[in-house]
Amino acid sequence: MSGWDLRVEAVRYSYGDVEALRDVSLTIRSGEPVALIGKNGAGKTTLTRLLVALIRPAAGRVAVGDWNVASKRPDEMARRVGYVFQHADQQLFARSVREDVAFGPHRLGRRAAVSAVLEELALAPWADVHPYDVPAPLRKLVALAGVLAMDPGVLILDEPTAGLDRSQRDLVVAALRRRSAQGVTVLVVSHDLGFVAEIADRVVVMEGGRIAADRAARELLYDADALATLGLRPPATAEIGIALRLPGAPLRSEEVAATLRGVRWKQSAE
Amino acid sequence: MIGYIAGRSPLHRAHPYTTLALAGAVLFAAFAMTEPATVWLLVLAGAALAATGGVLRSSVRTALVLSLPIWALLFVLYGLLGAAPRVALGPVSFSAPGIARALVLGGRVTAIVLGFLTALATTSPHRLVEAMTARGVPFGRTFLLASTLTVLPRMRERAARILEAQQCRGLRLGGSVLARVRALGPLALPLILGALAEVDEQVLALDVRGAAAGGPRTALDPPPDSRPQRALRWGLLLLVAAAYAWKFRRMRG
Amino acid sequence: MTPRVSLAGVTFTYPGADRVALRGVSLEIAAGEIVVVAGAAGAGASTLLLVATGLAPRLVGGTLAGSRTIEARRCGIVFARPWTQLTGLCSTVADEVSFGPACAGRPRAEVTELAARAMQQLGIAHLALRDPAHLSGGELQRVVVAAALALQPELLALDDPAAELDPAAADALYRMLPPLAAAGLAILLATPDIERAARVATRALVLEEGALVADGPPAVVLPATEVGVLARAAGCPAPYPLDVPALLARIAR
Repeated sequence: MSGWDLRVEAVRYSYGDVEALRDVSLTIRSGEPVALIGKNGAGKTTLTRLLVALIRPAAGRVAVGDWNVASKRPDEMARRVGYVFQHADQQLFARSVREDVAFGPHRLGRRAAVSAVLEELALAPWADVHPYDVPAPLRKLVALAGVLAMDPGVLILDEPTAGLDRSQRDLVVAALRRRSAQGVTVLVVSHDLGFVAEIADRVVVMEGGRIAADRAARELLYDADALATLGLRPPATAEIGIALRLPGAPLRSEEVAATLRGVRWKQSAE
Repeated sequence: MIGYIAGRSPLHRAHPYTTLALAGAVLFAAFAMTEPATVWLLVLAGAALAATGGVLRSSVRTALVLSLPIWALLFVLYGLLGAAPRVALGPVSFSAPGIARALVLGGRVTAIVLGFLTALATTSPHRLVEAMTARGVPFGRTFLLASTLTVLPRMRERAARILEAQQCRGLRLGGSVLARVRALGPLALPLILGALAEVDEQVLALDVRGAAAGGPRTALDPPPDSRPQRALRWGLLLLVAAAYAWKFRRMRG
Repeated sequence: MTPRVSLAGVTFTYPGADRVALRGVSLEIAAGEIVVVAGAAGAGASTLLLVATGLAPRLVGGTLAGSRTIEARRCGIVFARPWTQLTGLCSTVADEVSFGPACAGRPRAEVTELAARAMQQLGIAHLALRDPAHLSGGELQRVVVAAALALQPELLALDDPAAELDPAAADALYRMLPPLAAAGLAILLATPDIERAARVATRALVLEEGALVADGPPAVVLPATEVGVLARAAGCPAPYPLDVPALLARIAR
């Protein structure tokens, strides 16, 4: 499934008298992997909720491909956008993992590649287990599998790596990279910059309901000062790149590892 | 709106037992009354109580929403299908004693609902627990009571989130009766399962903090009580007892 | 000095489960240690915490075989989601933290002092009068830890305490642990966040399908962090560095 582009034009939104989004405009081209970062309350989640018609802007326009989101319902938007909530594991209900993952595709009338997605996220051993008997971090992966199985052209994920260990995070990274390569548009809200470094080409910073910065990932994730104002530090790969002045501002682990391969290593002092 | 609404009204500031006693008096007295006039006087008393608590509009609104279906049912059951003597109003005839009965029963329901809502809206679970602790009520019971009051807003929030998540998986709301019934699973199951899991965790966390410890609990900030309030509570109890005594005398006589 | 908890050949199965959650685990945890428990999801880390604090099988059910001695006078436990660990009854942080000592029936003056000390230890004294419902996740989790510490437990178990927190809040929470251990607390920490845990842990345990497969210094025993995997891929010999400074220190210039 190839992707859709996302267009947000001059959008405003308030919760009561609190202005959550002030005149925000953003365009994400089909197939672009983008990360949305910023402090809590900056408006990141609000922006993503607009894209799936969970809320309607007070002003401005939101479009996914040729669809004007204002005229759609969330269940209609599900045909194009797969939204993975921050606590998506709360949505699990079926009698088995397999059944739950198949729920979304069946709602959409699409053939579900459930087994393939379960394999992809190493959930095959749990396929016939009740979701609530699955350990908590794996439940998050089950929720993700349920959305991936819907084969959407756009993926929006809110803090997908919270509570996951390194190997689980690697599975999510691989799944998203695979989809990006196929042309799916990926938008991730995350403060896990190590994860952002592995999947995003572009980073948009939100602050106080506005877009404060919109830069290439290789630029922003190497900018320790800019990140410090957000209470964040550069991801490990960028820290290494900064300290060793590696050329090309490498972000992905494999890039940094390749660059370091010629280096001489000391035996550990211990 | 069902649940505690913060405020500074006399009912909020009174000792929780007083607020509950006032609401309870309206409730129990309503059962003792047998004439439409007296029952509805109590409904007015309940409304006056709600006004004192600063929650008149929300209580009346919720009470109406909850009682209207029952009024309708009572009206049909007793008013239209009741015994003679019948009274004609245009093309339709009503049973006079039936209407009177419907008014009494309907009034009771409304009085109960109003009293209950007012009590709920003006009694902070925290203050109630403190009051009960100060009186030496074992904690297990107080916590059970109070936590059931606080679970509603959390469940509401969780239900909203689940609703959104399932919609984003393509679940369409509304539609045929069959479609709505089928939507219950994906909406109700995660709500219940998730709530149970949360309660599990809460029980563990609070147990180590001593929630289940048998011994007496220290009241940190017991709501102030006063002699007039205590007198009022006893007075209400006597009033309600008198109302029942009078009712039984009338029934026997 | 006697260990705070000793397990010898402990095997534990949850009620109604066919899989054994812990098998033949033997270990001792002493005062002042910060022990991190690592392992794949479902490997038994959370279960180990429940068994070590005595919550399993007492509240959780299930069967425990082997020998367990909990010398700790009292245990505390903290879970990942802050909001499920609140009583839901307290309108101020101070009240929430005072809950434990109040339940234990301590005199009011002592309750106030214990709460103040716990809030001081967690750096949240300035939040004492704030409503827990309006705090950020990071602040709330510190309230939860303070509440767990108010009764001065000798063993504190933390199950992925920073899962819901942003990086700055997570760092701050982990930084709170060494001073607490230095004051004599035994800390048992289960988390997938190997990097943060490695910065504060004095000892590491690795569980695999319920069995303890490693017990030793964090740098040696813990599975590789993101940096460690990178270093290994770049040709660095074992043991692999846990974080960036360690990696940079291993490069011969």
